[in-house]
Amino acid sequence: MSAYILPILFIFLFAYCLHKKINTYDGFVAGAKGAIKLVVEIFPYIASILIAVALLRASGITNFLAEILSPVFNLLGIPTQLVELVLLRPFTGSGSYGILQDIFLQYGVDSYISRCACVIMGCSETIFYVATVYLSQTKVKKLLYAIPVALVCSLAGTIVACLICKVI
Amino acid sequence: MMLSSMLVLLVINPAAVLSEMISASTDALKLCIELCAVYCVWLGIMQLVELSGLGEKLAEVLRPAIRKIFRVDNPDTQKIIALNLSANMLGIGNAATPMGIRAMQALDDGSGKANFAMIMLIVVNATSIQLLPTTIIGLRASAGSSNPADIILPTIIATFCTTALGILLVFLVDKFKRRRR
Repeated sequence: MSAYILPILFIFLFAYCLHKKINTYDGFVAGAKGAIKLVVEIFPYIASILIAVALLRASGITNFLAEILSPVFNLLGIPTQLVELVLLRPFTGSGSYGILQDIFLQYGVDSYISRCACVIMGCSETIFYVATVYLSQTKVKKLLYAIPVALVCSLAGTIVACLICKVI
Repeated sequence: MMLSSMLVLLVINPAAVLSEMISASTDALKLCIELCAVYCVWLGIMQLVELSGLGEKLAEVLRPAIRKIFRVDNPDTQKIIALNLSANMLGIGNAATPMGIRAMQALDDGSGKANFAMIMLIVVNATSIQLLPTTIIGLRASAGSSNPADIILPTIIATFCTTALGILLVFLVDKFKRRRR
């Protein structure tokens, strides 16, 4: 059923553009132009974070942390294989895409673990990154309760995600 | 973080340090090429959404909710927040970011502390109100999933839970703080 959602939305959008007499081809090209620039801008961040994450994993530190913490996460219904993703998600968006890719390769895209990981990615954000970048152009130094609230919600979302993926 | 893992590697496997770093950055390049393809499609679609005026309509729809949740009355600020939320809902975090920065600038009162609307915007963005997890669907498709979009429904449910909880918590903490004052 959900396989139809995207194509239908796209058809609706293109039909609407036709109705509004917009040149869809030119519009699409104009938007797509931004993609390379965006990727060039984020490549250094992705590379640095992946390098840091690779070193962390090669040194066994993340495994060690995941092992210590996995009983706690298991208690909340979060599978051990996802602990690393859950731990790194608040810090790195692109890095967690890297971990997601690893999970795809290791367990198969359509496995429970991979689907869980996707839902977790979908309902959480790189909290520290968002807070830093969003406030970078303001004078705000004190975030008050924003970060703790966001972290609590992320954890709750992860628990919900693991539950739902068992059902749907 | 990098230093401590390098120190550990120095003890267990010094030869791995450089090779790990280079293979990671190769992975990053591959991921970027994949992301570039995904963004290309979505930025093209987003451009059409904007050109056709659907973006403006979306902002109109979201306006009452924004007034209630963010307690913002300035129509310009409302529109920027609406665009930020819409990009978020479409799952294009990178398209939402410039709008988020502009919204924060508009909300800044120069006191050095985050105010209610700013905290709400951070929390709502951090809990990621996604209706269409587009990037993830794209990555799943390129990884060869049999049905890349089948995570839409679970994601909507989970994201609704986190965002509702986030908004509720911000309201509660704000109330609690005011009472104590």
